Amino acid sequence: MGIVVEKRLTPSTSWQVASIILALLASGLVSALLLKSAGADLGTAFGALWDGAFGGWRASWKTLVKATPLILTGVAVAVAFRARIWNIGAEGQLFMGAIMSYWVYTLVGTLPPIILIPILFIAGFVGGGLYGGLAGWLKARFQVSEILTTVMLNYVATYFLSFLLIGPWRNPDSFFQQSPPIDRAARLPNLIGGTKLHLGFLVAILAVAVIYVLISRTSLGYEIRAMGMNAKAARFKGINVERTAVIVMLISGGVAGLAGVTEVFGVQGKLKPDISVGFGFTGIIIAVLALLNPIAIIFVAILFGGFVNGGIKLQVATGVPSTLTDAIQAIILLFFLTAAVLARYKFRLGTKDE
Amino acid sequence: MNELFTETILIAVLAATVRIATPLIFAALGELITERAGILNLGVEGTMLMAAFAGFAGSFATGSTWAGLLAAMLAGAMMAFLMVFMAATLKVEQVVTGLALNLLAAGMSLYLFKVYFETQSMPMTEVMPFMPIPYLADIPWLGPIMFQQKGLTYLAFLMVPAVWFFLYRTKWGLEIRVLGENPKVIDTKGMSVTLRQYGAVIMGGVLVGLGGAFVTIGSVVRFVPDITAGRGWLALVIVIAGNWRPSGILLAALVFAFLDALQLQIQGVGVDLPYQIFLALPYVMAVVLMVLKSRGGRSEQPGRLGIPYFRGER
Repeated sequence: MGIVVEKRLTPSTSWQVASIILALLASGLVSALLLKSAGADLGTAFGALWDGAFGGWRASWKTLVKATPLILTGVAVAVAFRARIWNIGAEGQLFMGAIMSYWVYTLVGTLPPIILIPILFIAGFVGGGLYGGLAGWLKARFQVSEILTTVMLNYVATYFLSFLLIGPWRNPDSFFQQSPPIDRAARLPNLIGGTKLHLGFLVAILAVAVIYVLISRTSLGYEIRAMGMNAKAARFKGINVERTAVIVMLISGGVAGLAGVTEVFGVQGKLKPDISVGFGFTGIIIAVLALLNPIAIIFVAILFGGFVNGGIKLQVATGVPSTLTDAIQAIILLFFLTAAVLARYKFRLGTKDE
Repeated sequence: MNELFTETILIAVLAATVRIATPLIFAALGELITERAGILNLGVEGTMLMAAFAGFAGSFATGSTWAGLLAAMLAGAMMAFLMVFMAATLKVEQVVTGLALNLLAAGMSLYLFKVYFETQSMPMTEVMPFMPIPYLADIPWLGPIMFQQKGLTYLAFLMVPAVWFFLYRTKWGLEIRVLGENPKVIDTKGMSVTLRQYGAVIMGGVLVGLGGAFVTIGSVVRFVPDITAGRGWLALVIVIAGNWRPSGILLAALVFAFLDALQLQIQGVGVDLPYQIFLALPYVMAVVLMVLKSRGGRSEQPGRLGIPYFRGER
């Protein structure tokens, strides 16, 4: 008799969920160590973190605002990762979505909002989608790793935005790299009076619903899942793997591009270099923690949105830099990956039957 | 534009090429050893960044760039240890692990920098001195280009034949290359696959760490967030463009470095073009190089790159 370890055929879902909780707890411990080393009082620090994230209605609404782009980048990453296409470029696609939607705004910005705003979202989707699709096409046509092209394209998008903001789209009245402010009428309307929660949140939820149906109910979704399990086998089943890769990257990039629209037209009210502070990368963490499940992404993104606001409050209350939360997010991911390994095994008492 | 082509400027550009290539060569050679062992470490950028920070912090704390160098190598080894533990022992998806390492480094280096260094007024460290090599430095053309550099630069260029010798002429090197193609061979001989992967990945991490050290204490007095600025990612492209061979890697690194040196020179002369075009150039070139590479010749990419080895698999 002893503890027998057996490999499971499919990872246990309950263990995967438990791994998230374990990862959060372990990361909490590491955070405590980091906070202590920075000389902060733990009670004050964790209190501030909670207050900033979910302490009361005001904080919670703000957290939903922060969660909005994260839901979108999370879903964007998830739909690609489902097909084992490693889109690391949500950041650049977000920027291209922002650029495209702002460009369209400069052309037709005087249209009535009810027509304009849908057009802006379509433009954002197209901008991000084409940029993602470019990486997909390079992968399909030349077998160039999408990991590296999307990373390179992130840098290119950042410099392109910077060029636009000191060149053609520069606000002459401002010292900073930014565009002139966007007309009030063209901004995303608030959902609830007295809060900053804007239409973008609903769009994000809608995007989740669409991607969920796409993955689980459509033939494209079937192809995506088949590629994710085994690309070679998918090819034998008659799936055009190259074509699907391009479509997946178009969709993934497009959804990331929507996040550019929500930030420019919902939050900032202008185009700036810092419309995203790594949302594309946080999206990767969120997607993986949510087990690439679109619905779960909403909740993980809200949690991470809370981290952002909590981090700001933490800095005010204790002087510990808010960047702590960035480090913590990566630590959560590493702990999760470690703990999730256990989900691959079964533990039971008994003797090994050979 | 004429002044671009005078002899002095050409020498200056080529000397800058050699200098700029230094961290790229270190990082790409480190990744080469890692990938030859079958492990795809996408965390090069993060490893480099962590090492760059450790080099800066170690040098600042002790006042010695040697201690900084040691700290950078250690940081490189630690990041590599994390990678290989996840990849070889836990057999976690290597792509996701590498990305996690990058995010960890970006967050941690920034946090530690803000906590320990942003409080003081502009902390600075010593920078490694130039070490002209007697006699060789006086050779016309070649001297100022190759032999008036820093110690780490010489080391980087010496590492190219050294890594080649290691991979192709030693028993350990052979074993590492077999890991990347068919780890079962190693396993059935009763030798540990995991142990060898740890060795290769950590060795690679130390090399990447040296590249990180060059970015801070080898070049500038300060640390700034995200100081590696994508060099680690370029190293991954260089490994591909160099077709997983030390000589190819040297060539690819020099091409990138030359472009970078050239754009610095052109910017310095003041050409009427947006500076962002020059900054974006290496990344655009990276994509172009990978496309060109895909069209010509046989790829030497290790067959088992990124695929974990399970004992008893068919």
